[in-house]
Amino acid sequence: MVSSMIPLATPRLDSDLIAESRARPEAFAALFDRYASMLYRYVSRRLGPEVAEDLVGETFLVAFRRRDRYDLTRPDARPWLFGIVSKLVSRHHRDEAARYRALTRSPLDDVAESPAERVEDGVRATAVRPLLAAALARLPKGDRDVLLLIAWADLSYEEVAQALGIPVGTVRSRLNRARRKVREALGHTNPLRDEE
Amino acid sequence: MDDLTMLRDLGRDLDLEYEPSAGLARQRRRLIDETAGGRRRRPAWFTGGRRAGWIAVAAVAAVTAALVVVPTVLLRESTGLHLLAPPIGDRLPKQGQALTVLLLGSDRRPSWGDPESGERSDLMILLRLSADRKRATAVSLPRDSMVRIPQCRSADGRTVAAHTDMINQAYAIGGLTCARKTVESATGVRVDHAVAIRYDGLAKLVDALGGVEVTLPRAVDDPKSKLKLPAGRSVVDGETAVAYARLRYVGDGSDIARIKRNVALMQAMLKKVSRIDTPAAMATLVRVAATSVTTDPALDLDALVTLAVDVRRAGTRFTALTVPWRPYEKDPNRIEWKQPDATRLFARLTGD
Repeated sequence: MVSSMIPLATPRLDSDLIAESRARPEAFAALFDRYASMLYRYVSRRLGPEVAEDLVGETFLVAFRRRDRYDLTRPDARPWLFGIVSKLVSRHHRDEAARYRALTRSPLDDVAESPAERVEDGVRATAVRPLLAAALARLPKGDRDVLLLIAWADLSYEEVAQALGIPVGTVRSRLNRARRKVREALGHTNPLRDEE
Repeated sequence: MDDLTMLRDLGRDLDLEYEPSAGLARQRRRLIDETAGGRRRRPAWFTGGRRAGWIAVAAVAAVTAALVVVPTVLLRESTGLHLLAPPIGDRLPKQGQALTVLLLGSDRRPSWGDPESGERSDLMILLRLSADRKRATAVSLPRDSMVRIPQCRSADGRTVAAHTDMINQAYAIGGLTCARKTVESATGVRVDHAVAIRYDGLAKLVDALGGVEVTLPRAVDDPKSKLKLPAGRSVVDGETAVAYARLRYVGDGSDIARIKRNVALMQAMLKKVSRIDTPAAMATLVRVAATSVTTDPALDLDALVTLAVDVRRAGTRFTALTVPWRPYEKDPNRIEWKQPDATRLFARLTGD
């Protein structure tokens, strides 16, 4: 009886949906509804909106075709989906680097800011953006994947390890290396870097 | 500041205020075709049923916005400028009791609506807050749901007999009272309070904010709503912003796409509101906000403020759903609620 009801307090696990979709393919669409926006946001940050839309669509096609291989002991499908996304994103490494380089040239200015906003934001965000973008552009692909899965996809170390198919220790070392480079990039102009 | 925090900020800055519902809906159809073995199985109007998830996504943001945008303005005011009375602890809504609120996004834009129509509700959400305020469940009731509208008294004192119509007609007939009565009889859920936020008020709010930024994937030239915008980012005034939010005949033309634009607008506004810190600008905003919210008498501004404080303190978790539905038998352009799923959903909603 429960399975036919709309989930309320206890939504169904991703793994249940995937298991169901093996017999009833259309059930897979529920996974899209859960995660397409999240994946879109992540990809559009890295590659821009035009590429993101198509890439998210492709991610779900790939995921759907591989649903028989999903490890049903993992209730949360995000690491799996982000793993597919990461592979697809890597095909666009030129676009990604170009995007970050573009950001180093033109900070994302709002067209019409209120004066208060300009004062508040001007000091902090706009000053470091080009530096951050430049640092991202220079990171090796593997390190950048780890860093952005942590910072932008909010995955845990273990989830990043699952997503990329690497040991947790490797996640930690890649993350440390990536963060060190980012801090170095910021360090030249940011006296607050030791505040942490 | 921490490098990860800075990166997260950069990420948020890169986000578009406009979520490409049309584009993602296309991708969703791609997946659906694939799951159907590469064939398209159903006529286009029916695929709407499969997109219900989008409303859920939208409703989370809409409810968050409704609970946050307006009360944020009021809250800041009550703590900073004392133009409003400070919140009083024992006013409704009472702490320690579950609460059901009907949220309406309404319009009073005769220039756009049918000549004979008055105020209509475009967005209807039934929101249930648990007694400890830790859980909020929002059930979106699509405006074209065909339901029984009970006998209502109209604003000019006429009695309108019970009949079956789109749920959003209830508000047009008899305002909040009729909308509430209709929702109560259709869902079986007792509604404690009803709140309406008007689009014209939204437009004024946007103007008071100095405009907001919207991002369009492609240029829009829609004579119906007189909206003309280039592709990419534009800063728009209140009227344009509302036209953008309500635009129906672009994208995939669906109500869902429209709801998503509403949400995008709310988010754009929230972003602006959260950055305001001059008392004068805030005072203007508060005055405008106060004119664009209608509530039932028991849920006054003080109560809204109390509610906002409770929700913030509890770190409320939102679950958003759309009432299960299917195309209406007599008119596939309308919908009806799917039974017994809808009844079960409402029973569970109040069963906390």
